[in-house]
Amino acid sequence: MALELNISGVEAGYGAVRALQGVSLNVKQGETVALLGTNGNGKSTLMKCLTGLVRPTAGKITLTIDGVEHNLIGKGPQEIVNLGVAMVAEGRRLFPRLTVEENLYLGAYRPLARADLSKNLEFCYATFPILKQRSKQLAGSMSGGQQQMVAIARALMSAPKLLLVDEPSVGLSPLLVSQTIEKIGELNRKHGMTVLMAEQNFHQTIKIAHRGYVLVHGEIAFESSNVAELENNEMVKNLYLGA
Amino acid sequence: MFSWDLLIGALVFGLLLGCFYAAVSIGLSLSFGLLDVPHIAHPSFLVAGAYATWWLAGFGWDPILAGLFLAPVFFVLGVVMYRLYYAMFEKHGSDAGLRGLAFFFGVAFIIEVCLILVFGVDQRLVEAVYIGKSIDFTDDLRIPMRLLVAFAAALLLTIGLTLYLGKTYMGRAIKAVAQDQIALSLMGADPVKVKQWAFGIATAVTAIAGALLIIIGPVDPQLGRIYIGRTFCVVVLAGLGSMSGTLVAGLILGVAETIVLTFFGASWAPAVAFGLLLVMLGVRPQGLFGR
Repeated sequence: MALELNISGVEAGYGAVRALQGVSLNVKQGETVALLGTNGNGKSTLMKCLTGLVRPTAGKITLTIDGVEHNLIGKGPQEIVNLGVAMVAEGRRLFPRLTVEENLYLGAYRPLARADLSKNLEFCYATFPILKQRSKQLAGSMSGGQQQMVAIARALMSAPKLLLVDEPSVGLSPLLVSQTIEKIGELNRKHGMTVLMAEQNFHQTIKIAHRGYVLVHGEIAFESSNVAELENNEMVKNLYLGA
Repeated sequence: MFSWDLLIGALVFGLLLGCFYAAVSIGLSLSFGLLDVPHIAHPSFLVAGAYATWWLAGFGWDPILAGLFLAPVFFVLGVVMYRLYYAMFEKHGSDAGLRGLAFFFGVAFIIEVCLILVFGVDQRLVEAVYIGKSIDFTDDLRIPMRLLVAFAAALLLTIGLTLYLGKTYMGRAIKAVAQDQIALSLMGADPVKVKQWAFGIATAVTAIAGALLIIIGPVDPQLGRIYIGRTFCVVVLAGLGSMSGTLVAGLILGVAETIVLTFFGASWAPAVAFGLLLVMLGVRPQGLFGR
C-alpha cells in the first residue's frame, strides 16, 4: 500500500481574512510530519481543508492511494473519511453525553471500518488500556487527558491510512502533552501509521516528527527534511525559543 | 371516600394508561429529545394518524394494521417536514430554536384546520374486536382490552427504539447528531441525512401511536392540544432522549393522573401533566434519566 498526500499552492480564507496563502507540503507513507506554528497562523485551517470542512479558494490537494490519485478539493468530509483519512479534531470534539464505547463505535461509522470493528476496538483498548476500564463512562465526564485518548482512539476506529491530528496539546498539562504526543509517535513507530500533526508545542513535536513545516501568517516559512534542521534554524529559534 | 380497592384499581389503570402515554410520547423523545427540534406539532401528527386510521378503518381495516401501514407514509411526511425545517431555519444558524417553534406551531394549526375541513368537528371512533371488551378480575377491577393493546404497543416501541439507537450505526449517529455535528461529519456521517432519517422514524412512530389514540377513545381534530402538555411532560420527565426513561415517565404520568382523577375529581387531571413538568424543571432539569 502506497500513500502520498500532496498539497500545492492552497489558499483559503474566511470572508476577507486570508488564512492560507499558497501553502504546499507533502506527506509520504509511513512518515510523521509536523506542521508547526503558533496560534492564528493557519494550521487548523489547513487541517480543515484536508478534511473538507473548509473549501480552499485555490490550489490542489491530492491523496494518492496505491497509484490512484484522488482530488480532495470539492469532496465533503464523508467522502474524505471514506478514502481512509481520519482527523483528531482540535479541542477533541467528543460526544460528551455518550459513553466512551459509544464514541468509539461512532469512529467506525465508515462502511469499510465496520467489518473490522472488534479487531480495531481491541487495538484501541490495547493502545489505551484505561479506556477499556472506562468504556461505560460518559466521555464528557472524563479528564482532559483521557478525553484526548478517546479522541485519538475514535479516529483509529476508522482504520485510517492517514491520521491527521490537530493540536493534541490544547488544554493539557505538560506531562499529559508529552504522554499524548508520545502515543502518537508510538502509532507511527510500532504500527506504521502515516501522521500529519499540527501543533504549537515545538519541543514535544520534534521528538516524534521525521520532518516539519513551519507555518507563519498562512505561508510555509520554513521546510526541513529532518528534525535537526528545524532545531537549529534561526527563525524557529526566534519564534519558539526567544532569541 | 378512600378505599384500597379504588387505589389498586387506579394504580393498575394508571400503569396501563401510562404505557399509552409513553407510546404517544416516544416519537417526541426522538425529535425533541435527541434532535433538539422543537416539534410542538407532534400531537397534531398523532391526531392526523388517528384520523388516517379511522379513514382506513372505514374500509374494514383493523386499526393496528392501519397504523402499521401508515408508518412508512408518515416516515416520508417526516422527512419532507424536516427538509423544510432545515432549509428554512437550521441551515441559517443559531436561532433555529425559537423560529422553529413558531414554524411547528403553524404546522400544528394547519393540520388541525385541514382535519376540520376534511372530516368536520365531530368525534370519530373505530371498532375492533378488542375495543369495548374488558377482562374482569373483580367488580371494581376491570381492565379494558384496548389498554392492553396500548401496553403491548408501548413496550414493543420502547424496546425496538432502544435496540435501534443502541445497536445500529445509524442509531448511534442519531444519538450523537445534536451533540456535535462537525464531529459527526468527521466520522463519515452526513448530519443532515442522519437528522432527516431520525425525524422520519419519529414521525412514523406517531402513525402507530395515532392508531392507539383512536383505539383508546374517540378523537376530534382539537384533541392534540391536550396532548401537548402530556407528551412534553413525559419527554422532559424522562430526560431528553432516553427511550426507557420515556416509558418510566409515561407510567408516572399515567398513575399520577389516574390517582388525581379518582380521589380529587376529573377537573384536576389536566393540571397533573403541567404540574409534573414544572416540578421536574425546578428540581431536576436534566430529567430522571438525563445524561
